[in-house]
Amino acid sequence: MSLHEWMLDGTLGLLVLILAVAVLHVRSLYISIVLFIAFGLLLALIWARLGAPDLALAEAAIGAGLTGTLLLAAYGRVSERRRKAEEPLDWHAGPALLLSLIIAVILMRAVWPLPDLDSALVPAVADQMAQSGVGHPVTAVLLSFRAWDTLLELLVLLLAFMAVRQLLPSLPRQPEAWPLLQAWSRLLAPLSVLIGGYLLWRGSADPGGAFQAGALLAAGAILLRLTGLLPALGWHHFWIRALILGGCMVFLAIGVAGYWLGTGFLGYADGWAGPLILLIEVFATLSIATTLTLLVIGETREVRE
Amino acid sequence: MTAALIALLLPLFTALCLLLLRSRSGVLVIVTSLLTLLAAAWSLYDVTVNGPQWLELGDWPPPLAIRFQLQPITALLLVFSAMIHLLVAVYAAGSQHSKTRYTDFWPLSCLLQGSLNALWLSGDLFNWYVTLELLGLAAVALVALSGRKAYGPALNYLLLSLGASLVYLLGVALAYGRYGVLDISLLGAMTEADTTTRIAWWLMTLGLMLKAALWPFHLWLPRAHASAPTAVSALLSALVVKGPLFILWRLWSEGAPTELAVEAGPVLAVAGIAALILGGWSALRTPWLKSLVAYSTVAQLGYALMALGLLMYWQLPALDAALWLFVLAHGLAKASMFLAAGELQASLGSKRVSALRGTTETMPVAMFAFAVAGGSLIGLPPSGGFLAKWLLLEPMFETVNHWPWVVGILLGTLISAGYVFRVVALAFDRADPVPPDFSPDRFAHWLALLPALVVWGLALISEPLIHWLTGVPL
Repeated sequence: MSLHEWMLDGTLGLLVLILAVAVLHVRSLYISIVLFIAFGLLLALIWARLGAPDLALAEAAIGAGLTGTLLLAAYGRVSERRRKAEEPLDWHAGPALLLSLIIAVILMRAVWPLPDLDSALVPAVADQMAQSGVGHPVTAVLLSFRAWDTLLELLVLLLAFMAVRQLLPSLPRQPEAWPLLQAWSRLLAPLSVLIGGYLLWRGSADPGGAFQAGALLAAGAILLRLTGLLPALGWHHFWIRALILGGCMVFLAIGVAGYWLGTGFLGYADGWAGPLILLIEVFATLSIATTLTLLVIGETREVRE
Repeated sequence: MTAALIALLLPLFTALCLLLLRSRSGVLVIVTSLLTLLAAAWSLYDVTVNGPQWLELGDWPPPLAIRFQLQPITALLLVFSAMIHLLVAVYAAGSQHSKTRYTDFWPLSCLLQGSLNALWLSGDLFNWYVTLELLGLAAVALVALSGRKAYGPALNYLLLSLGASLVYLLGVALAYGRYGVLDISLLGAMTEADTTTRIAWWLMTLGLMLKAALWPFHLWLPRAHASAPTAVSALLSALVVKGPLFILWRLWSEGAPTELAVEAGPVLAVAGIAALILGGWSALRTPWLKSLVAYSTVAQLGYALMALGLLMYWQLPALDAALWLFVLAHGLAKASMFLAAGELQASLGSKRVSALRGTTETMPVAMFAFAVAGGSLIGLPPSGGFLAKWLLLEPMFETVNHWPWVVGILLGTLISAGYVFRVVALAFDRADPVPPDFSPDRFAHWLALLPALVVWGLALISEPLIHWLTGVPL
């Protein structure tokens, strides 16, 4: 590794630590949230440096973007009195530091002896790539070899949405958006559709895929809704429910069809793997986008009638 | 295997359909539960006749893909969870006091059952992580059904559950970094007793103990289980905490090297005894009825943990039977107890234990259900609880220096008897009974009695059951 790379990595590592400390110790809650968003973006850069662009995209979209929106929305509901971040408790600091050090030592002891071993799974994945129907190993693992995990992750997202729905969250009244913001979001929303679609399409051969594309689409939709350019979205619309549940339903149906036709549960028939995976990814993207959108700005006036 | 797959997918499909149609049809869920029970029973029959089976998902060769494993215990747990689920669904649809009839309880409980069945069938460290996430989220959403007063406990539960998941995931990552595979049977053949493995296994154990509310990580459980609606409390206590316990069992009995298991066994067994005594003590002291039942869950999980610890310490596979009998007996008894307690407190209009004075006169069937279920928790013969305890005590009688464990079990039994009789004695104080505020629902009382009777009925089939569980042919 060259000196420049060392310096870049060192700066990134140092910055992320400084930001983490700042997020915890800044007096104003608002600044803390803004720093947290910056922290997420920096983390995304670090993932990219570590050679994991998939994670970088997801971190930027979900860790920084959507989480930031949620935190700001929560901030909008916190009363003025409680906005001042609480004084950090001094007596906590010593024991917490000690505990962290002990945990760090234990983890070091666990990680240190790990040889740079090549997992038995890497050659196995490479071996079966031709049959998987896609060209990128991560996508192959996510949608062919370990499709069951991905299907359950979609259900996790659905359950998270269901759990939030029980709390009857109501949006604070939106102030009128400024014209400039509206004009910008008119420009940005189509871009999110375009980039999302590209990520989805490229996902079969390069890093990217349903989660990243879905998060981007959701960002566009949230922007439009917050600037009042989109009507209220709610669970009571049939098409919203169909979109949210579509991902899981199509995935499960294809899985069962595979079992029925003798290619195994969640197995794809020869030659059909590519198209079927694309079909699943399209529905999963729409489902993830809608769920994330509703998680952030969903109108839930009718949970308990 | 087809039957097990049906038992797994049927609840998931039902949940998705209910959500799509925005339906809150209890009848549909009851029918599905019944079908799931039939499928589970069929898979139990299948596994008894044809032996253990594997299903490679997507037909990929083993180290690459996840595979489902159908063992006798797995099939038994499928049947058990379908049974409890059916009972609770009938209760939630039928009882006057059920507060969950017009809520999202129906799809959520179906999702809960689906995720639990996915957990029983899986044998993959990472897939277990995902099922644990599903289980935790479903449970939190169900607790939050109670409305505003349950938000605090639900949030606590969520945060602890997420933290526990991360700890477990860290352990999984270390194990994967060390061995490069995730399948527990493959790991079992590879693991060695080195530092990394030890730390990985302890991290996973820590996460699972938090999730299963095993002592000393039980503090979230009583509040969450007590503030949930009655039907949900029954599901959580009878089923949800058993999921992580199952993973813990597979992790140590199948995946860990013997040396590590022998070393970790006593720690878990001592934690089990502490749970028995301290959980029981809290149940003795709490003024609230549902908290009492929830603390008794903490205490009873101690037996299971102790069985697991001793099983690892002495390397005695025969204790498997004790462990799973505890789980079955406790699940049935606890479902009964929570339903009875929920009905009693809804009819009496008070959540206090002291309001139960004279309930043997006003609501005899519900109180009988509580007492009968309590009898199994204490371990009175010939209940299922007694069978489990007998199996646990058997190896202790054979060797003289095992007596300290026997003392622990005796103390635990004494305390269980204490908190059960605390309620029962109060219920027989008929001189000045507390009149119910609302009309009691006789149907729900009989329903609560049902699982308690099943636990006692286990005694009738005890011999074939034990032989079957220990794998000894008749």
